Amino acid sequence: MSELNLTDNKFIQFHQKIGFKFDGVKYYGYKGDTIASALIRNNIKLIGRSFKYHRPRGFYTCGIEEPNALVQIISEFSEPNTRATIKKIYEGMEIESQNRWPSLETDIGGINNIFSPVFPAGFYYKTFMGPHKNFWKKIYEPIIRKAAGLGKPPKEFKAVSTHVNHNVDVTIVGGGLNGLIAAKSLIDTKFSVLLIDFDDQLGGILNNSNKVQSVNNQTPMDWISETVKDIENSKNIKILRNTLVTTYNYINHLIAVEDKFVGSRPLKDKVNSTLHKIRTDQVILSNGHIERFLSFQNNDLPGIMLCSSFEKYMCRYGVMPSKETVIFSNNSNSESLVFSLIKKGFKPKAYIDSRSGENIEPDLFDLIRKNDIPLYTNSQIKGAFGSKKLQKILVEDSSGRFNEIKTDFLCLSGGINPDVHLFTQSKGLLDWDEKDLTYKPAQAFQPTITLGSASGQFDFNSINKEINEKFDIFGIKPVQIDLELNTSHKFKIEKLWEVLPQKQTIWSKSFIDLQNDVTTKDIRQAISEGFDRIEHLKRYTTNSMGTDQGKISSINALGIVSDLLDKKVNEVGTTIYRPPYAPLSFAAIAGRNSYEYYDPERKSPIHNWHISNGAVFEDVGQWKRPWYFPINKYETMDDAVQRESKNVRENAGVLDGSTLGKIEIKGKDALAFMNLIYTNSFSKMKPGSSRYALMLGEDGMVKDDGIICKISDEHFIATTTTGGAATVLECMEEYAQTEWTNLNVYMNSITEQYATFNISGPKTRNIIEKVFPEVNFSNEAFPFMTFQFHEYEDTPIRILRASFTGEMGYEIYVPSNQAIKIWEKIINFGKEFGLKPYGTETMHLLRAEKGYIIVGQDTDGSVTPLDLGLDWMIGKSKKDFLGKRSLIRSDTVRKDRKQLVGILPINKNDKLEEGQHIILDKEIKTPMPMLGHITSCYQSPTLGHNFALAVIKNGQSLIGTKAFASTPELKTIEVEIVEPIFYDKKNTKLAS
Amino acid sequence: MLIIDCPYCGPRDQSEFSNGGEAHVKRPDGSADIGDREWGEYVFIRANPKGIFYERWVHSHGCRKWFNCVRDTSTDEILKIYKIDEERPKLDSFKNNVKTPSGEPNLGSGNFTVKK
Ligand SMILES: [Zn+2]
Repeated sequence: MSELNLTDNKFIQFHQKIGFKFDGVKYYGYKGDTIASALIRNNIKLIGRSFKYHRPRGFYTCGIEEPNALVQIISEFSEPNTRATIKKIYEGMEIESQNRWPSLETDIGGINNIFSPVFPAGFYYKTFMGPHKNFWKKIYEPIIRKAAGLGKPPKEFKAVSTHVNHNVDVTIVGGGLNGLIAAKSLIDTKFSVLLIDFDDQLGGILNNSNKVQSVNNQTPMDWISETVKDIENSKNIKILRNTLVTTYNYINHLIAVEDKFVGSRPLKDKVNSTLHKIRTDQVILSNGHIERFLSFQNNDLPGIMLCSSFEKYMCRYGVMPSKETVIFSNNSNSESLVFSLIKKGFKPKAYIDSRSGENIEPDLFDLIRKNDIPLYTNSQIKGAFGSKKLQKILVEDSSGRFNEIKTDFLCLSGGINPDVHLFTQSKGLLDWDEKDLTYKPAQAFQPTITLGSASGQFDFNSINKEINEKFDIFGIKPVQIDLELNTSHKFKIEKLWEVLPQKQTIWSKSFIDLQNDVTTKDIRQAISEGFDRIEHLKRYTTNSMGTDQGKISSINALGIVSDLLDKKVNEVGTTIYRPPYAPLSFAAIAGRNSYEYYDPERKSPIHNWHISNGAVFEDVGQWKRPWYFPINKYETMDDAVQRESKNVRENAGVLDGSTLGKIEIKGKDALAFMNLIYTNSFSKMKPGSSRYALMLGEDGMVKDDGIICKISDEHFIATTTTGGAATVLECMEEYAQTEWTNLNVYMNSITEQYATFNISGPKTRNIIEKVFPEVNFSNEAFPFMTFQFHEYEDTPIRILRASFTGEMGYEIYVPSNQAIKIWEKIINFGKEFGLKPYGTETMHLLRAEKGYIIVGQDTDGSVTPLDLGLDWMIGKSKKDFLGKRSLIRSDTVRKDRKQLVGILPINKNDKLEEGQHIILDKEIKTPMPMLGHITSCYQSPTLGHNFALAVIKNGQSLIGTKAFASTPELKTIEVEIVEPIFYDKKNTKLAS
Repeated sequence: MLIIDCPYCGPRDQSEFSNGGEAHVKRPDGSADIGDREWGEYVFIRANPKGIFYERWVHSHGCRKWFNCVRDTSTDEILKIYKIDEERPKLDSFKNNVKTPSGEPNLGSGNFTVKK
């Protein structure tokens, strides 16, 4: 094991051993370890295989920017693509490496590496096109599906997360040095503050490096604990730890996800993660910076790591990834690692810098010299070599000589970038800094302040000045922080993006994106093929399109492209970083809105009766409606529907119609309003009568239908279709509030307040007279399309004589809380007359026999009342109503519009099918001209054969002629076009 | 997600509201005297500018009230909210941010270069 001092500190409890399994083998780490730090303790360097070429990969970083070390957590619903560098271990954790088969050590997918000439840039685009089509389908796709990709999808998954909303004045993202200073300065001010850090320990760079010797004359650790204690004791600041801000939306809206089980096994019945939705007046981004890598031959070998990550493993986790590492850098950021290594007595094996001796920080230069570390200035690493892990490197020194150095470890630093992901998500603008060679926040789009290295301020001595200037808006006391540093306070860098190899072979690659396996050669090829705009190049090569969004490499790609195109980086531009900052699980987003809570379920007030009577349910929007009532488990739906339909026609049936929308309209001008909303005229209607009515859109197309009951000129009740209830009410509100504001009218939904029971069939009157003995149901006293209010055992009810089946029928409206009482009464009294409940499918069949349309089934938003043959429903004398003028548009008066007709098979045994075309030719050919299609189709128990409704071109004039209907088997059925009514054409039953 | 200041309920999350498209579109009455073009424009044609836009919103999961709003569609900034019966604010009372030749706002997308 490569370990440092094993005394407990606040990060790692070395006395607490933790056992976990990686690829089936048991290892031990300590409380506080991440998977990565624990595996490094066990000398594991190989963690996974790469995405495309299956190359061996190790830990490249020590944080969320990690491109390689993605693992599957078997013990957590098999959660894939977990970053080993941040996920903490717990007792009994089971981890598997990804994208390898049969095992990590011997992976046969590695053959992709040898065949890599077939995976060039734009491979997917090229193979999808033209002559390679079959090649793709038969050869590539099966192989790629098996070999490519990251982890496997999780199994048996149940989201256990919750959402929390915050409304605060200030949100500080990142609790490192600058975040803590900022929070401290806001203690006990009038501002409510959230301080958010991804880590379980605040302090950032102070924890992860030896850059700072003291803060305000305290050790960094003492300063952190004192500051955190002060913040925690304040009344106005709340700290969210283990919380990653993933998204920065408009109007300072942040999304952050909190892991509630860091370092312990998530409990199934507890909230595993919390999604914080934060609204804030001011955002402070103090989320630091990310170190970049460098491109050279085989820069992906296990054993290569970023400098600051190596130092973080040492300082934060007390583990040495290697006792003898080589360092390669072009900037100041490596200085701190050299200092830390020497302090701990692990002298680097060699220090290689692309800068000349006089450009290297003098302190660093002296340190290297004093400790006799081999120093290569003006030098570059031409390549790294080894099988499954780093074994040697090739260095070209200032004189152009090649030196081979045997080493199993190499630390890299290619510069640093402010972590601008959140800043650009907020639509802030970046500008290229030619001195520091990175994009820095330039102009915020929202109330955003960037602080410290997140703002591109890499000079420790400027912290006080920056914060005091930027915090002027808060009107608080100025901050004074005294820092004592172990390394240079300023950042210096010299340009180096890529070292070209000495020799190019297909075995060796120089990577620019480790997660997506993109090489610098791919970038060159894309540019030579003309993809020289950065957004095109990104998509063509898939550079920076992995889940890490190229955190350690995307800027390098811009540098390489700018050199190739001989343009300034600022002219090349950047691609846009998109939310989420790091992968965010769907479980966290879903929160409680999953499974049975995904969408509300609406139930009729007598739902339980349907359940206990064996109903099979159908989803209609959010409603659960009884579809049919099978008599036993053997009865099929078809059989049940034939039986139920026959019974309605011969005896009587009752349908639970409670889901129909019901809207109450009141006001001095209710009549005028209803006349404007519906096509019909309600002016001459007597109070107590009702009317079937149509509602159109302004384009003249049928939007909804229903029955309007007129209680008085100032009071109406409208029913709507089950699915249209909300839309109709919204439409009424819209016109009442925005168009006809002079009308005094109010409306409200009463759908849920009343249950509706539709009884119909020849024996209806016998039954209903028994249920309501005091009501006179004779034709004279209670004619068709009238309604009456009655009291039933102190329950106010409304009875409407109407029918949707073609039989004589009544609809009973009952307050929902009394519904079951009336329903059971109807069922019980109906028994002797053969009354049976029926479901929606029987209702559909019966109404189709009668030629009643269903809006949304027989219409599709392109059908006018004239197309349906419902001209009689249009109030001709009315000056205006919704959509009236559209009924004389050139398009709506066209002669060849599709119109509603009935369809009957000539051969009565033929089966028609919904959605099939009506055509004129017996033979199906290509292209096939069609007249229209079948919208509803049923087997009629009354007729004894199939019948259908259809919308066909010029349909009304084709009635009486013959045509053909297609079948799914591409055959044709000869049919007759008829009037769209199949039952009781004279309406004698309705009024019987 | 926007915060919308309902004139009746106060500031609420956008998810409580529905957008009702362009505001101040006068509905001609439905009589046959209205020409095809005039009626067709009312039914089918709506403005969709980049920049200052007068639009309608309804607090559908709240008070159900309709109101008008002036929004800069290039930045999504809500400039003014006013009741349905209030006078339409004058266009020149708002600073129009759309200035660049391509029509992109000064702020709001990509970096300085991409805009050029
Ligand atoms: Zn409201």
